[in-house]
Amino acid sequence: MKHFSEAELLETYYTQPGESMPVMMHLADCSECAARYERLERKLREAAACHTEKPATFWTRQRLQIMRRVDAQNAHAISARRTLRVAAAAILSFFLGGALVYETVKPAHQPAPMVKVTPVTAQPAPAPSAADIHDAWQSEELQDFHNVVEWESWVADNKTTAHQGSSL
Amino acid sequence: MATFRVNPISESVPSDQELIARTLGGDGAAFGILVERFQRKIYRVAYAITRDETEADTITQDTFIQAYTHLGKFQGRSELETWLTRITINRSRDWLRRRKFVSIFTSDADGDDRIYAIEPVDEQPDAERQFMSHQLRAAILRAERTLSSQQKIIFRLRHYENHSLEEIAELLGLRSGTVRAHLFRAIHKVRKELGEWVTQREGIPDEAL
Repeated sequence: MKHFSEAELLETYYTQPGESMPVMMHLADCSECAARYERLERKLREAAACHTEKPATFWTRQRLQIMRRVDAQNAHAISARRTLRVAAAAILSFFLGGALVYETVKPAHQPAPMVKVTPVTAQPAPAPSAADIHDAWQSEELQDFHNVVEWESWVADNKTTAHQGSSL
Repeated sequence: MATFRVNPISESVPSDQELIARTLGGDGAAFGILVERFQRKIYRVAYAITRDETEADTITQDTFIQAYTHLGKFQGRSELETWLTRITINRSRDWLRRRKFVSIFTSDADGDDRIYAIEPVDEQPDAERQFMSHQLRAAILRAERTLSSQQKIIFRLRHYENHSLEEIAELLGLRSGTVRAHLFRAIHKVRKELGEWVTQREGIPDEAL
């Protein structure tokens, strides 16, 4: 009789019970392999034992934390909804107010007046007044030359006088 | 003489659907009952996949918050427990992927390096049995490191949670044949690892196994 190895028994353990029919049939006949399979199964179950046997305080704390987060989420949702409503109301009031102001200030609608076109005759440009004439000689920049010009005019006057005297 | 008629108090436990309806109606206490009902199971699944107590706690909390947020979308086509378990598995899978990504940049290569305490089933375990149990657990952990994320989840749900292949297929949204193929590959790797363990334990009486 061929006995099954631990590897085969392991495969039997992890696959569905009864899946490996040859193995299961052998286990039904062979007490030695059946005992080995039983021990292997017990060991694997031991190895798989989960550390989730926590004290009651652990579960209570976890539950409280979850509920606190749920409450916070609800509060946040309510706050967000309220903010959204306020924002919507503000936008609505802004547009309504704007429309109201526009309606109040808006000028009455009138038809555009008829424009009568008349031919314009060319008129002579008005003569510049005395005040408009700008005497460049009186500007500040040329004031320093006034004396020179005056002297030159004096020399010229002397020459004229001398000339007039000689001619006399 | 006055006689008092005692009405039997109906201690009927509210069903999941009732509690969901009450929660959706704004009854926070109803959701608290749901949390109390499923938190152990959800924690166990999260721990089975992550093998990390802190992460299992976080994933459990996140699962319930996500479930609360989307409770209105729960159509009741599956059991609430299945729905919660699926959320847990998805979150645990994300965590496994993130950790794998992080381990690329760190020396911690998917490191389940912790040695778990031995939890003997028998009341008076002998030292040798404890040692063998410890060795077996370590061998399984070593084998798990060689598995892909999908194989790891399937193997852990089978090994730690003792889910059937059909249950795992339903939880993961896979076909039963696909789960079976993944599980066989995983078992092959575990067999290889445990083969070394079997070799190491040569000389030890078979009773120790």
